[in-house]
Amino acid sequence: MAAMPARPSVSSAVALLVLAAAALALPLAIGERPFELRMATLILLFAVMGQGWNVLGGFAGQVSIGHGLYFGLGAYTTVLLALRLDVDPWLGLVAGALVPALCAVLVGIPCFRLRGHYFVIATLVVAESVFQIFTVWEWVGSAVGLELPVKPEGLANFQFHRDKTPYYYIALAMLVVVTGALWWLRRSPLGFVLRAIRDDEDAVRGLGFSPQAYKSIAMAISGAILGVAGVFHAQYVLFVDPFSVLGLHISVLVALFAIMGGVGTLAGPILGAAVLVPLSEYARIHFSGSGRNVDLLIYGFLIMVIAVYRPDGLMGLWQRARVAAIRLTSGRKGSDHAPDVHLPARRRVARHDPRPSA
Amino acid sequence: MSEQLIIQLIVSGLGMGFIFALIAIGLTLIYGVMNVVNFAHGEFLMLGMYASYLAFATWGADPLVTLPFVVAAMFGFGLLVYYLLIRQVLGGSMQAQIFATFGLMVFLQAAAQFVMGADYFAVRDSWLSGVVTVGGVVLPVPQLAAVAGASLATAALYLLVFRTAVGRQLRAAAQDAQAASTLGINPSAMYALAWGIGSACVGVAASLLSNFYYVFPRVGAIFVLLAYVAVALGGFGSIHGALVAGLLIGLLQVLTGFFVSSELKFVPVYMLYLAVVLLRPRGLFGRS
Amino acid sequence: MPRNRSVFLKRGVVAAVAVAMAGLAAGAAVAADPVRVGALYPLSGQVAKSGEDTLNGIRLAIDIVNNTHAGLKMPFAAGAGLPALGGAKIELIAADHQGSPEIGAAEAERLIVQRKVAALIGAFHSSVAATSSQVAERMGVPYISGESEATTLTERGYRWFFRTTPSSRTQARDFFTFLRDINKSQNAGVQTIAVVHENTLWGQEFAKSVEGYFKDFSEFKPAIVVGYQQGTSDVTSEVQKLIAAKPDAVFHASYDAEAILFARTYKQFNFSPKGVLAIGAAFGSNAFRDALGGDANYFFVREHWSRDLAGRNPLIGQVGQMYRERYGKDMDGTPARAFTAMMVLADAINRAGSTDPEKIRAALAATRIAPSDMIMPWEGIQFDPTGQNTLTRGIFVQTLDGAPKMTWPADQAAIKLVWPRPAWR
Repeated sequence: MAAMPARPSVSSAVALLVLAAAALALPLAIGERPFELRMATLILLFAVMGQGWNVLGGFAGQVSIGHGLYFGLGAYTTVLLALRLDVDPWLGLVAGALVPALCAVLVGIPCFRLRGHYFVIATLVVAESVFQIFTVWEWVGSAVGLELPVKPEGLANFQFHRDKTPYYYIALAMLVVVTGALWWLRRSPLGFVLRAIRDDEDAVRGLGFSPQAYKSIAMAISGAILGVAGVFHAQYVLFVDPFSVLGLHISVLVALFAIMGGVGTLAGPILGAAVLVPLSEYARIHFSGSGRNVDLLIYGFLIMVIAVYRPDGLMGLWQRARVAAIRLTSGRKGSDHAPDVHLPARRRVARHDPRPSA
Repeated sequence: MSEQLIIQLIVSGLGMGFIFALIAIGLTLIYGVMNVVNFAHGEFLMLGMYASYLAFATWGADPLVTLPFVVAAMFGFGLLVYYLLIRQVLGGSMQAQIFATFGLMVFLQAAAQFVMGADYFAVRDSWLSGVVTVGGVVLPVPQLAAVAGASLATAALYLLVFRTAVGRQLRAAAQDAQAASTLGINPSAMYALAWGIGSACVGVAASLLSNFYYVFPRVGAIFVLLAYVAVALGGFGSIHGALVAGLLIGLLQVLTGFFVSSELKFVPVYMLYLAVVLLRPRGLFGRS
Repeated sequence: MPRNRSVFLKRGVVAAVAVAMAGLAAGAAVAADPVRVGALYPLSGQVAKSGEDTLNGIRLAIDIVNNTHAGLKMPFAAGAGLPALGGAKIELIAADHQGSPEIGAAEAERLIVQRKVAALIGAFHSSVAATSSQVAERMGVPYISGESEATTLTERGYRWFFRTTPSSRTQARDFFTFLRDINKSQNAGVQTIAVVHENTLWGQEFAKSVEGYFKDFSEFKPAIVVGYQQGTSDVTSEVQKLIAAKPDAVFHASYDAEAILFARTYKQFNFSPKGVLAIGAAFGSNAFRDALGGDANYFFVREHWSRDLAGRNPLIGQVGQMYRERYGKDMDGTPARAFTAMMVLADAINRAGSTDPEKIRAALAATRIAPSDMIMPWEGIQFDPTGQNTLTRGIFVQTLDGAPKMTWPADQAAIKLVWPRPAWR
């Protein structure tokens, strides 16, 4: 479904406006309930991370299960700058985007020559190495972690203590900016080259483009977005340690949210986060007291179900529902739209060949 | 730094390497036949170890006695997973396949904790325990058994794949499923067989491992991360590649653990992988 | 400390009278609003089991406060509820933080704002205690920890954080005190010490603390420090390093899994130092004894609590028995410490006479609890200005004939310790 970004119609513009208004008003509706506010903030944060993952994994088709690395590097960069050099958190944000972007490009140099699962394992191995080094590296606080000094709250210090609503709006702004930028990116020439790389890397090379260079650009953008999310997380929790910002589970969750939402779509990561974050949070609150992992049992089962029934993720489910609704409401119009939406899914089936040995 | 110590480290490293290799072989076989990576492979190992332990705890049966049964059960479990889950995502993208087996991993881990709790269980005083000392070098019996088991399993797999009619069919299905089916080979049955055999291999590993290692819901993660690296390092799909890479990894982690840093003993293993694929993007023995 | 003892005794009499009077009054009094206490523990995932056991210690303490327990000679046992609050009961609100510092902080906030708890107790993981107590500090809510050991927790200058358990630095000191004592009393002959530690927060802190004490205990020399990756598949290289360093004693900071792995590998390579001493319960746990059988003997564990202490303090036997009856397993050091922290909190709320956070904080700061009123083998509970209990004491337990036995300090020992450990058989 990522093949051709649909032209925004009036109806989807209205839908977008309604969504934006709802997102802006949400904290008012939530009121004095930190649990729900935090969950809403987490959804936005994971949506941003999913968008970042999607640039590389969705647009360019390079599946990474090591993206927690850039999240962690962003978080560590801002905390270390604040602790060691007393750098302003907003400058820290800039650095927290640049450092991971640079590292991402460096990681890309050996990794982008690899295809398929060789690449997947390479991303995993790099992230895991950095995690293990950080757990013993004294200067970055080793396994003990680092606490950000508490400062008077306010936008200047990027810290809010009594009321966390500002964090929500900052995360919302991040998501809007990132999504807008990616919307533009997808329609830019760069976006087309990236999608071409995903579909047939050799053909792109044949046309005289360097897939390596374009993948590096995608990787840098992807790393920068994850880094910004990491900075936000550090300012929100005021604490970093290797496990909570560099752990393998973060890499897996990011990829999971993006993939389950719908790979390569703009709404996919948002949808994935909006469904999966509350699912895991409520499962934790309601089931985990038993110590029996019922929440993970449900989670694992759902992942399998989605992989089997909607390999194109929740977005596929959504589009399917939309097609059905259109068919129901207007016969002719529906028949116009239906093939449009179904085409990519069918193409994927046609491409089905268990051994894409190209 | 005595010669004896160096020999001891090498021997111990190779002993561990055979375990990694045995786990990796099942993984690489499945990949070689159908290009699917089983991210729940570690959890298959965990199930096999629980089976060994439970047989020991209930009937006092030694893991060596129950080995054939565990292997058979794991073969059946592999078939089951293939038909219920994998076959459904064969047509999907690589992402769908990754997440089907990833979901299975989360599910099996949670299910194990649901049923067995988070406790550690270990088989005690199995037949294969104790040590043999040769010229001052200590050879733990369970590791020796693992070496024997891994060698036998690899040899058996080789014979099966390259010397039998079934093996020919497997290879045919792996090379070109459509052409194979015109020759009257059922690719789906071959895929199922690959899953069965791949799981059976990890069943052998589980039985041998339970002689000296404890089982708990997340035991798979401890071994399987290195097994993935072994498969990739050896070249996806290459059986002897997995064997060689497994041994290399076992050796490297013991040597760096001793001479460099035990806290960072896996980092050189990861760097070795990156270095190798930088020169050979398809691992040591991968086909292009 | 005879002077303190008499103060404790007086307070004890006063408390007993107060309890008795409140008991009389309770019949007539209208049931007061319950006092809510929020508990932050890991209740899912890998350490769910330990989190649940610990929380059970807290549940037992609350049960003793809320209900009448005739025959139990402990504060709050005789009456129902908190006497100074008109017999108000304590209501426990447990939250699961999954070992995540981020979730811990969020849950602390949720409990304070949405569930209106008067105080917090937690959090097992030191990293979670760090972030969740930061929330409590900001919001001005008392926070007590009975089992989070990271030394830094009480070095942050917090007003609202109190800790009853000894920090990991204090515990490291006990190792040296123990060795110095047995070097003198039974010629143990220990000079060189190796440290083996896992490389998360807990193990790293322990190793650092030990390193610091070699100055104060100059008769000992460090042999080698071996850190290892938690979740490692084998420890051959680690053990070979130890063999090469030939230490007299080994200090161990390991969790259950690697404790089993190390013990088996020690046996395989016939590595037998004079003694192996562990922090944390792993080398004496049920899983460890089940997995190793006879090989589990002779390991020392620096413990907080032991059932063998029942002979000296009948409360220990009674409370241990209640725990076993309710939760189907033996109490150990961690639930015992959580139990104690909860009793301290209940005592403070009662002395504050209200749920006003500032009053509870002041009462906590003025806490004085006598050894006879609690189940820990400590000299009492009294907080210094950082919020750390200064009257803790460590004990060493050795597994002998397949069971953990209290062996040190000698005046409380149930059995004479075995040193050096015999060769592997």
